[in-house]
Amino acid sequence: MAAEDDGKEYRWETGYEKTWEAIKEDDDGLLDGSVAEIIQKAKRKRMLERKSNARLGMMRHIFVVIDLSECMADQDLKPTRQICTIKLLNAFIEEFFDHNPISQMGIIVMKNKRAEKVSDLTGTAKKHIKALHQIESMPCGGEPSLQNALEMAMRSLKMLPSHASREILIILGSLTTCDPGDINQTINELKEHVIQCSLISLAGEVHICKALAKTTGGQFGVVLDDAHFKDLLLLHVEPPPAAAKLEPALIKMGFPHHVTGAVGQSKDAPMLAICMCHLDVPSECKLSAGGYFCPQCNSKYCELPVECKACGLTLASAPHLARSYHHLFPVAPFAELPFNAGDDNDPCYSCQRSYSASKDKNIYKCGRCLQIFCVDCDIFVHETLHMCPGCASHPSTTSQLK
Amino acid sequence: MRLDIEGLIVHFPYEYIYPEQYSYMVELKRAIDAKGHCLLEMPSGTGKTVSLLALIVAYMRQYPSELCKLVYCSRTVPEIEKVLEELRRLLQYYEEQFKEKIPITGVVLSSRKNLCIHKDVRQEKDGKIVDGRCHNLTASHVRERHLTDDSVPVCTYFEDFEDYGNESYLEPGVYTLDDLKSYGAKKGWCPYFIARHAVSYANIVVYSYHYLLDPKIAEIVSKDIPKNSVVVFDEAHNIDNVCIDSMSVKITKRIIERASANLLDLAKTIRHMKEVGPRRLTEEYQRMVDGLRETQQARETDMVLANPVLPDQILQEAIPGNIRDAEHFVGFLRRFVEYLKIRLRVQFVVQESPAGFLKDIMQKVCIDRKPLRFAAERLASLLKTLEIADQTDFSALVVVSHLATLVSTYTKGFIIIVEPFEDKTPNIPNPILHFRCLDASIAVKPIFDRFQTVVITSGTLSPLDMYPKILDFQPKVMTSFSMTLARPCLLPMIVSKGNDQVAISSKFESREDQSVVRNYGQLLVEIVKIVPDGVVCFFTSYLYLESVVAAWYDQGIVTTLQRHKLLFIETQDPAETSLALLNYIKACERGRGAILLSVARGKVSEGVDFDHHLGRAVVMIGIPYVYTQSRILKARLEYLRDTFQIRENDFLTFDAMRHAAQCVGRAIRGKTDYGIMIFADKRFSSEDKRSKLPRWIQEYLTDNLVNLSTEESIQCAKRWLKQMAQPFTREDQLGISLLTLEQLQKEGVENIQQKARQKIK
Repeated sequence: MAAEDDGKEYRWETGYEKTWEAIKEDDDGLLDGSVAEIIQKAKRKRMLERKSNARLGMMRHIFVVIDLSECMADQDLKPTRQICTIKLLNAFIEEFFDHNPISQMGIIVMKNKRAEKVSDLTGTAKKHIKALHQIESMPCGGEPSLQNALEMAMRSLKMLPSHASREILIILGSLTTCDPGDINQTINELKEHVIQCSLISLAGEVHICKALAKTTGGQFGVVLDDAHFKDLLLLHVEPPPAAAKLEPALIKMGFPHHVTGAVGQSKDAPMLAICMCHLDVPSECKLSAGGYFCPQCNSKYCELPVECKACGLTLASAPHLARSYHHLFPVAPFAELPFNAGDDNDPCYSCQRSYSASKDKNIYKCGRCLQIFCVDCDIFVHETLHMCPGCASHPSTTSQLK
Repeated sequence: MRLDIEGLIVHFPYEYIYPEQYSYMVELKRAIDAKGHCLLEMPSGTGKTVSLLALIVAYMRQYPSELCKLVYCSRTVPEIEKVLEELRRLLQYYEEQFKEKIPITGVVLSSRKNLCIHKDVRQEKDGKIVDGRCHNLTASHVRERHLTDDSVPVCTYFEDFEDYGNESYLEPGVYTLDDLKSYGAKKGWCPYFIARHAVSYANIVVYSYHYLLDPKIAEIVSKDIPKNSVVVFDEAHNIDNVCIDSMSVKITKRIIERASANLLDLAKTIRHMKEVGPRRLTEEYQRMVDGLRETQQARETDMVLANPVLPDQILQEAIPGNIRDAEHFVGFLRRFVEYLKIRLRVQFVVQESPAGFLKDIMQKVCIDRKPLRFAAERLASLLKTLEIADQTDFSALVVVSHLATLVSTYTKGFIIIVEPFEDKTPNIPNPILHFRCLDASIAVKPIFDRFQTVVITSGTLSPLDMYPKILDFQPKVMTSFSMTLARPCLLPMIVSKGNDQVAISSKFESREDQSVVRNYGQLLVEIVKIVPDGVVCFFTSYLYLESVVAAWYDQGIVTTLQRHKLLFIETQDPAETSLALLNYIKACERGRGAILLSVARGKVSEGVDFDHHLGRAVVMIGIPYVYTQSRILKARLEYLRDTFQIRENDFLTFDAMRHAAQCVGRAIRGKTDYGIMIFADKRFSSEDKRSKLPRWIQEYLTDNLVNLSTEESIQCAKRWLKQMAQPFTREDQLGISLLTLEQLQKEGVENIQQKARQKIK
């Protein structure tokens, strides 16, 4: 099955499986096949549901809660659940701040029935990645307490202004939660404060987790393998639709220019200074003249986006906002057409693969440029590219895009 | 949805239908057309009840002359309520379709305890006491006395019902227990008697098995049900035991003592009555001479349901002279009780046939067979004449009289066993006389004979051919339906060895084997680690459960289990068990997770559903064979072999497997549910055991899931659990396991039937 060139993992590293059965089940059309199909369908459905012009909560405040209990040492994700989770989270955090430059994130870990805040809400990816690095070497132990973690996240989130969207993303390896009180009360409180809780379980469907996600309007998913885990995580990169309770508000932002002045070249060239972001760690401090200067208080930063430590102003650059922009105007969903082997079909417009009856049950058509795409490209266009290659390559439709 | 089932238009109250529901209705219709009995197995959670009701209501509306009544028997009160809810939904749908009221009445009948609205009586917890207190207020002589003396209390609800309610009929509609109570409270009538009265005219009657199967109750409640009715026994996998229990009598020392006391009371009352006014007694004597001719007439004209306790021959004779007189009868009973007392004074086990018993009784105390036969009838008449209101006090004597009648009536199919002590406590003398029915068909025969269609249905009736044999009837239709599923939502596995390759089994020789017990423990620990929320584990008996848990405690397995889930244990005390269940559910709901250790054939295995998160996995530890050393069982096996040519082993396996199937079936209560079923015993792998599982389980028990070790099974379960946890919506089911009307028509009848009856690999 998993040949070496598969690249995923070595054969001897995979779990015990009876490969001859796996093949049989596929033939049946029952086991693996049907479940995979259901996942595929769900993906498309989500895409269809995403409407343009929806109000999205762009200023996200998200707490990522990581389970560090005993069961995270399990090896069903390679090499262990813990390391696999950290690795994927690294990618997730990068991606998250890439797509949501004006958002903030915090990290909480659960172990030994306690919740511990590893990093507080901030808008810098670096800090979190460092925290993750630290978590990677932490030993796993004890049981998690969902309630404690939720309470801790809630304490920080409920103080936020009303225009911010509040989310909690929990990655849970355990099948139980060991709580000091009634977790249902906590869930109701979360709902009152409009905090959306999503859960990714590494082990199975736990009733209370599903209920938590359902009541607070989040998503619940169970991972099949690491690829699916990544899919589920990346779902949370997209900003969620704004809750009805969110008030529209004007937010003051600063757009500092990068100043690169060599010393003494001009009069208003900046002085040599240490940037604000590296103040805590003197060893990494670099004395330089260039950087971004807060338009309000003139503090210096070497990276954007960031929240000014001195005056609290959100600092971003125009491209950051532009990147958030595509969430507001997603590519319209393609129409699903049945694929008939007899028809004379052009290959997929995007990847140039010709269709085969066995693999392609459906093909997809863009409503604007009328080009035809295969299922993989359909998903790629909507999830990653955010731009239809057909429309972009044709002069008449390109103008419409802008 | 409007369906056309072989020419019959059926209105189905849902937008979607399962393929197996459709085929179920087709088979049912064929059986009703043929006016024959049928045996249908369909997995629980696939909408048996609604299919049954929809088809039969449609049939009743279209051919009212062919079929006029449905009698639906179920086991427990919640199940009965569920049937009525479905019926209500169905009738509502009809109303929406036709825009008019449907002239169909559906009514429930339950015990007085569940229906009483009298302010004092309903406070009682015990059903028997409620019955007794009700008698005290409603017996005819009490009411007579009330007419002259106002201080004698009567039940106003009953009085008003007698005065006005007797003639009136319920409005068409569905009446649940609560509806009856509120209706009764509004009108000021007794709900219990409203229901009793309604049984005779309602189109659909829902009640417990006993109202039909227990001859003592059936005589009172169900005798007016017309011949062209359909009788449905739902959850009928245990029907033979119900039949047998209703015909068996158990006499203990306590009963004898109380019966003697009763006799003293009776004698005193008779003496008193003779002094006050012997008129009643003479009248009664006259009635005795006239005999039971009236009853006989009624039976010949096919008016009433035959009562097996009161066999046909008796009716042709008058009550023998020597027990006509009240005092003589009391003396007669006293001799009988004394005789039983002697019989209980034994040092060793005695087993004899009714014929031997009769001969012995003749020799020892000179009691003839003929008057014995009339004992029950005669006692009932006497109690009525003596105006004894609270008959619960006399229950011991009534039991004795039943024994007298039964033992003298039936020579075949019964056995008498006297045991000086119980098997569990061989040193404490506790003599018991069992008068045991061995033949389930005796109690059920009048029902098969009388009603044109009897439907026996359940989620687990396999192997189907066993039931016609033990109940002695010829079914016209006999089918087992499987479950069509869009995803394989059940995972049955047979685990036959531990990780150390030690074969695991609950068989007698290896019961005490520590390595087997340890392997069972390890299996459970592994399961508990990977299965979310609730896990239920069934043992073969309380004894085994206790010894295994004790061993696990020593081995530290209990501590490990408790690290992952909270541990609850079913005990023989019902109050304790329901408390454990309550907390079990709480632990599952709150995400702590729990494991429940319980016993096959216990309360949990029969009546409690563990749907969705309450039971993600069921582990059956060992094969739940009945206690084979029991003499009663041995006698029954012998009888089955001689009469019905059923081999002992076949019956034992059949019985064990149906209980195993019941246990594991607790986990799946619908198509959106999912659950693991683990059969942990080496012996389950053998073909004769596997083939006796219901078809819907067998279908998913493929060869690769048989004969696994602990580790292999955990691997399978782990992967499967994750797959099942993926989001699953109704759209995914549509077309495969759920059909709309168009899909149904497009697919064609043949295809659907085939789908529902997928062949077993």
